[in-house]
Amino acid sequence: MAWYHEVFSSLGALLGRRRQEREMNEELHFHLEMETRRNVEAGLSVDEARRHALRDFGGVERHKDSVRDERGAGWLYDGWNDIRFAVRSLRRRPGFTTIATITLALGIGATTTLFGVVKQVLLTPLPYGHPESIAVVWSAWKGFDQTWVSYDECEGWKARIPAFADIGLYTDGSVTFDGDSPERVRVGNVHASVFPILGVKPIFGRNFTAEEDRPNGPNVVILGYGLWQRRFGADPAVIGRKVQISGQTATIVGVMPNDFRLPIDFGGSGRSEAWFPLGTDAQQQGAVPGPEFPKTGASHGFYAVARLAPGATAATANTQLRTLVAELEKWGYMANVGFHAYAVPVEEQITGRVRPVLLVVFAAVGFVMLIACANVAGLLLVRGESRRRELAVRVALGAGSRRLTRLLLAESAVLAAAGASLGIGLAAVGVHLVRVTAPAGLPRVAETTLDWGVLAFALVTAVAAALLAGLLPALQATEIAPAGELKEGGRGATSGRARLRWRQSLVATEVALAVVLVVAAGLMIKSVRNLLAIDTGFRPDGVLTMRLSTPSTWYPDSVRVAAFWDELQRRVAALPGVRRVGAARLLPLATEMGDWGLQVEGYAPPPNQGTPGDWQVVTPGYLEAMGLTLREGRSFDARDNMNGPLAMIVNRTFVDRYYPGRPALNGRVRIGDNDSTKIYTIVGVVDDVHHNALVGQVKPQFFVTLGQFAIAPGNTRRSMSLVVKTDGDPAALVAPVRAVIRQIDNRLPISEIRTMRDIVNAAIGGPRFAMQALGLFGLLALVLSAIGIFGIVSQVVASRSHEFGIRAALGATPRELVALSLRTGLRQALTGLAIGIVIALVFTRAMTSMLQGVTPTDPWTFASVVLVTGLVAVAASVGPARRAGKTDPAKVLGSS
Amino acid sequence: MLALKLLTTGPMHGWGLSLKLREISHDVFDVNQGSLYPALQKMLRLGWIRAEWRASENNRRARYYAITREGERQLAAEIEDWERTSGAVNRVLRFALQGG
Repeated sequence: MAWYHEVFSSLGALLGRRRQEREMNEELHFHLEMETRRNVEAGLSVDEARRHALRDFGGVERHKDSVRDERGAGWLYDGWNDIRFAVRSLRRRPGFTTIATITLALGIGATTTLFGVVKQVLLTPLPYGHPESIAVVWSAWKGFDQTWVSYDECEGWKARIPAFADIGLYTDGSVTFDGDSPERVRVGNVHASVFPILGVKPIFGRNFTAEEDRPNGPNVVILGYGLWQRRFGADPAVIGRKVQISGQTATIVGVMPNDFRLPIDFGGSGRSEAWFPLGTDAQQQGAVPGPEFPKTGASHGFYAVARLAPGATAATANTQLRTLVAELEKWGYMANVGFHAYAVPVEEQITGRVRPVLLVVFAAVGFVMLIACANVAGLLLVRGESRRRELAVRVALGAGSRRLTRLLLAESAVLAAAGASLGIGLAAVGVHLVRVTAPAGLPRVAETTLDWGVLAFALVTAVAAALLAGLLPALQATEIAPAGELKEGGRGATSGRARLRWRQSLVATEVALAVVLVVAAGLMIKSVRNLLAIDTGFRPDGVLTMRLSTPSTWYPDSVRVAAFWDELQRRVAALPGVRRVGAARLLPLATEMGDWGLQVEGYAPPPNQGTPGDWQVVTPGYLEAMGLTLREGRSFDARDNMNGPLAMIVNRTFVDRYYPGRPALNGRVRIGDNDSTKIYTIVGVVDDVHHNALVGQVKPQFFVTLGQFAIAPGNTRRSMSLVVKTDGDPAALVAPVRAVIRQIDNRLPISEIRTMRDIVNAAIGGPRFAMQALGLFGLLALVLSAIGIFGIVSQVVASRSHEFGIRAALGATPRELVALSLRTGLRQALTGLAIGIVIALVFTRAMTSMLQGVTPTDPWTFASVVLVTGLVAVAASVGPARRAGKTDPAKVLGSS
Repeated sequence: MLALKLLTTGPMHGWGLSLKLREISHDVFDVNQGSLYPALQKMLRLGWIRAEWRASENNRRARYYAITREGERQLAAEIEDWERTSGAVNRVLRFALQGG
């Protein structure tokens, strides 16, 4: 087909218009000349010959027009003309154009940024093969909604739950890659089946074999892409090479793809960058080999991930799990604790919590976009008013209503195009800000990019904006009847009531949408305040933390490790501005803490239940540096070292659970279910620390010192977080503290430098993100509506100046005139307010899951929103209304 | 169609074409000479002919049109179409005259 001729010809028509005109003129000129010459040869006079030639040719200009039409770009050319005309007329009104462009740019920029986030988090598939048939599996019992799986359970589910095609376990941990620049790296210990279950293959090398994944198997490692690039120069020949990891030699067998992550790596507390075989078996785990269950229940310490059988869903698996667990419970497995197990689709596990947040924020940004469009439509309407004479003249001169519509749509299209270019720029900034400030609690948000899909969305938004903002004014213009208009315009009368009503509904709509946004923002602010008001049990302000490890290569025994920490704390404490220094195994709200089986003297657990305690290893000074509240007894100090009597501090829940009605101080506790003679004595009780989550139940927790933990149960903690409390800015201490560490041992890897405030903020990342976004959009919405109200009151005042003049002449006071025009603005605001509150009551229900300690219909929030919006409406109306009060009857009436 | 047919004999400029058309049809098609140009422009757009500037017989710059392969295909199709239609019309006329 010859469609491409058409396209080229049309394009050529647009681009080479001048040349084509010249060629056409030359061609026709040539024709006429030749014809004239022929006529002269036939015996006519030159003049006569020329007249005949022209007559025979027909109207030259008419044919020229036909030729132009046949160039095939008529509509394109007209469109181009319209656009050029629109640009010219917009440039004549720079104020209007700037406001409209910025309004649209803000709308498009915000919408595009948010779409980028939504696309990355919710629309981009997880980096797994067929993620829809992957599920994560959890155990749960009284007080623990979502906890680790035991080895027995994994074996049991594998054998007896047909909905699971396969199930694998993994744990997380960290190691040190030794060498000249040792580096602490988060790692995963995975069953050989985990990567196949996730549907991911190494890009180089191979997965672990079953032979490697057994106790005391060969020391092999699979590298993460980032680590491979960073430490191994992206060398594909790295496979088979031996590396020193935490003092042991391991062989590299594979490299994983760049985007690979374990399901828990999306959680926000960092991602694993190397993987080892889990290397355990049922026997080592104290489990019964095969699909059998010990009555007491064994250690629950594994993450589990399952590949669903063809046709099975997580729901199928859950039904089967319920049946099986009921059977097991009857038989006696984990009895009396309300044990159950369940599967969650991996997609839901990772994005389930953030999904409602994002959808609400995205809806909110859509509202902002609508408000922006309504505002621009309002501006165009006002402009339409002042152009009615111009348009009427055009109609009188023969412009059809279609042509007028096109002209006005061209104007909004030009505005939208300008808005889109600026908006995409804003979106680029927005995406950058999102990436930089992405709260750790929101999975995948930090990977947001401005890709083609997002840009395409920006364009769609711009087109929609052009139509939304331009259609109403354009349709209005088609009703123009030139005769009436020119007459009306000639008289300088008020603008038509119907047209004013359109603008008023636009403003009411804006206010309604703004009310919804402000209500949502108000609820979020209240909820975040409630979250922050929760007594976490520690004081995060002014606290700097960083993670340090003491590799066994250089610190072979616990004596040296303890000596290192003593020395480090002594020197850091001497830095100016430092109040207290300590260290802990795990920081609250940063890393989840598991429990350890205890024996508490005088406490007999109910049958089939242990005496678990969350174990925290600290150095003297930690309790003070982190700001824990001591309730009874004493804190740790220098005497709680390796040689001192074993001292333990416990939390209130520990006391309530294991020492009901008897004093906990001086109570005796054994760590582990052995008959060791090393028994701890409780020397203090602290208030509960919300370690694993801000909200939810706190478990019994105990604290022992690093030095004494090496005595009983006898483990050396190699990785600890340094905690420094200052009166000033904790970030200012990073450099001096680092310098101190370098002085002591410049080989030590330092990682995870964060303030406790950062950690707390990350823990409430979702609600905070929602609060910030909704707050920003609510503010934007208020400003835009204020502009809308300002506009309508100004218009009313201007268009009724004649009437006001008469009223003033008849004795109306300026006060009365001001009140009169104020009323017109406030009426819209009130209508919008009422509608907005109704919409908000429906909309905020979607936010229920995001709210903390506040109902979606919180009367206080609604009341304050009414107040705020009312004040904004009054403020926006006052300026123009005061102008009505200054109406000078002589001037106004004289001018007509 | 006529213009296309004429162009099969070789490239021609607009005036030449209009002259030829008048000669062939013995001025039966008494139309404005100017109407030729929009038609040429249309055929250019459809890709049936192409145009280039060359020196004319008397060394003036003139725009010459030549038929393209696409145009030849189109011509063949139109001739076939025409023959079918005119054949049908002829048969109808014959029938009408005989059956009178």
